[in-house]
Amino acid sequence: MNKTVLGFGLAALAASVLTAQDANPLRQSIKVPFSDATAQRKLVVEGLVGAITVRGYEGKEAVVEYTGRAGNSRSSANNPPPAGMHRIGGGRDMEITEDHNTIRVGHGSFMFPTDIVIQVPVDTSVNVSSLAGGAGGISIENVSGEIEASNMAGPVTITNASGSVVAHSMAGKITVTLNKVMPDKSMSFSTMNGDIDVTLPADTKARLKMKTDNGDIFTDFDVTLDPQKGATTVEEQKSKGTKNGKDTRTRYRARLDSTTNGIINGGGPEMQFTTFNGRIVIHKK
Amino acid sequence: MNCDQAKLFFAEHWSGTLPDQEEIELERHLGSCEACRAEAERLAPLWSGLASLPSEEPGPDMRGRFYETLAAYRDGAATAKTSAHRPLRLVWQIAAGVALLVAGGGAGYAVRGQSSGPSELAQLRGEVNSMRQLVALSLLQQQSASERLRGVSWAYRVESSDTEVLSALVSAVNHDPNINVRLAAVDALHPFAGSATTRDAVLQSLPRQSAPIVQVALIDLLVDLKERDALKELERMVSDSSIDSDVRQHAQWALEKLQ
Repeated sequence: MNKTVLGFGLAALAASVLTAQDANPLRQSIKVPFSDATAQRKLVVEGLVGAITVRGYEGKEAVVEYTGRAGNSRSSANNPPPAGMHRIGGGRDMEITEDHNTIRVGHGSFMFPTDIVIQVPVDTSVNVSSLAGGAGGISIENVSGEIEASNMAGPVTITNASGSVVAHSMAGKITVTLNKVMPDKSMSFSTMNGDIDVTLPADTKARLKMKTDNGDIFTDFDVTLDPQKGATTVEEQKSKGTKNGKDTRTRYRARLDSTTNGIINGGGPEMQFTTFNGRIVIHKK
Repeated sequence: MNCDQAKLFFAEHWSGTLPDQEEIELERHLGSCEACRAEAERLAPLWSGLASLPSEEPGPDMRGRFYETLAAYRDGAATAKTSAHRPLRLVWQIAAGVALLVAGGGAGYAVRGQSSGPSELAQLRGEVNSMRQLVALSLLQQQSASERLRGVSWAYRVESSDTEVLSALVSAVNHDPNINVRLAAVDALHPFAGSATTRDAVLQSLPRQSAPIVQVALIDLLVDLKERDALKELERMVSDSSIDSDVRQHAQWALEKLQ
């Protein structure tokens, strides 16, 4: 069932890519082979602004698709070609290199917001970072390996993945669904303002370290909380009671240290969840 | 087989991975050389002590990465900035491991005459700490953020007087390319709070950080350290409009806590 749906999904995807290429002549597609079959495949995407999607597929090479700017120039309106000329090349384009099975995608010299989709073989480690300035999300789907994602602008969404994840979003939400985790890999998820929503296989062994200053933590895992940490401190709070308009009370408020530690399935490598304003939700798959 | 060659085979001998031919030669040598036999007997407990450490298996990609970097090195790919110096680092790690073993042997030799139970135990504890230190330090230099996070969690297992691990953690807080690793390294500084180096490092690090979540973690650490020298920097942060508003509020909260 799942396979059928996936197959259909890929077919639909291929169709939509073709349509997109038909519809948008500026859509570029570049195929980059991995040169060394013996080393771990790795994709590094850095220095881009805008939406970045990395998707595993049933192929052997990386396929980089992006929309070039009009005439591939900084701005065709501000920088029109000389009379009677058309642009045939120049700088400021996508820069892609491959070295010992590591493919790097970045910019040559000039950054512009882009909308890039990179397809890679499923077994590929992925390291994606995007710069502040745009609002695009990082989306990583259907890959298996070590996944690192850091978004200075929008959210980070990782779905249908296996392996390990180290993800950060400056202000956006982090959503991660892992089908399988590597037994000895540390993971970490952090964001300042967003929620962290992580789905893990039911048998995941881990030591959880969860911290939210202004949010709540939810899970349907059976978590054994560590009573030694997460100490309660009592804060004295002078509050002006307004009841009956006269009494002034001193209120004592038990304040739990904002870090909660616990283990699932007997414990394992550390998984750290850190958000300042968001909530943390850890689902059992 | 001479004594030097024999010593090289000790580790494999204890772990049972020495090929048959060498095993026979080693045993023949141990049978004939009293010095080597004594040394082997003395070091064997250290080896079993190491075995009781939590096992750290190299990941499946470690092998691939090693050959990848070795190939890059052979090709003289000095321009490949990420891989050029890695083989050297690996060699250094291996050399350090060997040096440690030799140093352990030497120390054992030095205390040979007076060695009694407790001092051997203390020595073993020292060796175990050194091994943990080595694991933490080498993991902290890996290319993968997940491995470096493991290095940070190993740092909790070394003694809090360990200045090498402390300086590796401080370096991770300030220079690690991954924000999550920086964040974890800030937390791992808590056990080192007693040292003045830690306090200075945290104070100097705060103005250098740009990620709000790391700034918050450093502010929390300063509050835990009751570091009153931080007041000036916190005041500056509160009035710096380029800083995230939540961080500024948090700095304000920290000021009230510390004053």
